[in-house]
Amino acid sequence: MSVNKSKPVYTPLRADTSGRFHLMLGLAEGAAALHRVVDELHAVAPDSLGRTRVLLSHTAEPFQGLELAAVHVFESTTALLADFRATLERSLMGTRLYVAGPENFIGRALQIALSFNLNKDEIRTEHCGTHARRVHCVHCRATTEDVRTNIVRCSGCCRWLAVRDHYSRRLAAYMGVMADAEAAGELPPVQEVYP
Amino acid sequence: MNDAQTLAVQVAAIEQVTPLIKHFTLKSVDGGPLPAFSGGSHIIVVMRGNLRTHRNPYSLLSAPHRLDAYEIGVRRMEESRGGSHFMHDEVKVGTRLEIAHPVNLFGLDKIARKHLLIAGGIGITPFLAQIEDLRGTSVPYELHYAVRSAEHAAFLPRLREREGERVHVYYDSEDQAIDFAGLLSEQPLGTHVYVCGPAGLIKRVVDTAHAYGWPDSHIHWEQFSAPPVGDAFDVFLSRTNITVHVPHDRSLLESIEAAGVEVPYLCRGGVCGFCQTAVLELDGELLHNDHFLSDAEKARAKSIMPCVSRARCKSLVLDL
Repeated sequence: MSVNKSKPVYTPLRADTSGRFHLMLGLAEGAAALHRVVDELHAVAPDSLGRTRVLLSHTAEPFQGLELAAVHVFESTTALLADFRATLERSLMGTRLYVAGPENFIGRALQIALSFNLNKDEIRTEHCGTHARRVHCVHCRATTEDVRTNIVRCSGCCRWLAVRDHYSRRLAAYMGVMADAEAAGELPPVQEVYP
Repeated sequence: MNDAQTLAVQVAAIEQVTPLIKHFTLKSVDGGPLPAFSGGSHIIVVMRGNLRTHRNPYSLLSAPHRLDAYEIGVRRMEESRGGSHFMHDEVKVGTRLEIAHPVNLFGLDKIARKHLLIAGGIGITPFLAQIEDLRGTSVPYELHYAVRSAEHAAFLPRLREREGERVHVYYDSEDQAIDFAGLLSEQPLGTHVYVCGPAGLIKRVVDTAHAYGWPDSHIHWEQFSAPPVGDAFDVFLSRTNITVHVPHDRSLLESIEAAGVEVPYLCRGGVCGFCQTAVLELDGELLHNDHFLSDAEKARAKSIMPCVSRARCKSLVLDL
């Protein structure tokens, strides 16, 4: 069990009615979590649905029949995040951000949110789906996507990296450190640990 | 902070800038540079009068990059317990004073995308220093300054000269008022609001910001409370094993200090929490006047801020 305190903590999403605008991002299974929050808003603060935007990808979750300001389904995560950034440019103080999906998606979304100075009390996150990690190589600084194993070959420099629990919000990635630096080629067993 | 760590300064200039506000320039007695500070910092001025010693917090209004002198603005309070009257009536050019090192409890957020500064009256002083820090950055900011009337608009010529149209001034005398809803409903994401001035202004800004969904992390305010007067009472200090009488016009902290017991402090205005003291026994009620303890903590009556709070009690025992 890691004692590293940088590893993000996620909690099931709840509607935050102290906010005036609600911006929701969902990837794959995350869409269902957002639907739950929309239903909660509908029950406790129905007026706020008109100030709620939902940005989705990789999902067929139906959001019809609700009076939302917008529901957009993008064909890729990259397109979703590009629209998210453009939306933040136009957004006003009083906005609450909800992000639901795999951890690597949450991390990339929060990296953008951080650049707009959104603080912890404006953001809620729920982890759904894969635990696959983005790994930042401390040697060549390349990012390796979709890492499910304790040891991975760096997509940049091809070193074998040990995946640490040390997480960077700025880079939206876990640290990867050369695994066989002491004795070249001597690696611990490679196991799938981030399913 | 205690008096052993004060700096010796001398008044280099005094200017009456409004009917109620005097502008003091302080230089170190040895002529050397003063400690560096950041915009929003305050100092405690120790005023040794014939009958009693006053220690009041004042925001530094001079540019933070200037260390040859500190500047403060002091408003003459109608119901002064003596501190502001001492500064206005007793202090002359050449008077020596002791001051505590600057402390910043009202700093600017370093990664804000925009700063919205709102001042009421003498609350303009911390912003005068902050805008000196802001002018060198590319981060947008606006200053909204509400005053009674033109003759009470302290430091306005200096602001106009340096800031031009970035300063929005509102005169009560001409029924001009800050449009709080208009200002706080349309700010871009990543804006921080800062307010300093009378309690009513701070409450309007904080309440309006909350109503438009601003989270607490983007709302900053500072108000130094003067210690209110009240009924006299006695307090027993358990560790020093003495009883201290608190007269009606002296604060608990001042009374304890007058008895020779040092309590660590920073702001002396109920803001910082530094002088928080454990209440061991109480027969009566605490009269909390600070902005630091939560309502729940105040109700529990297990600690007190002796700088501004009092008690109405038969007995009170503090862990000092």
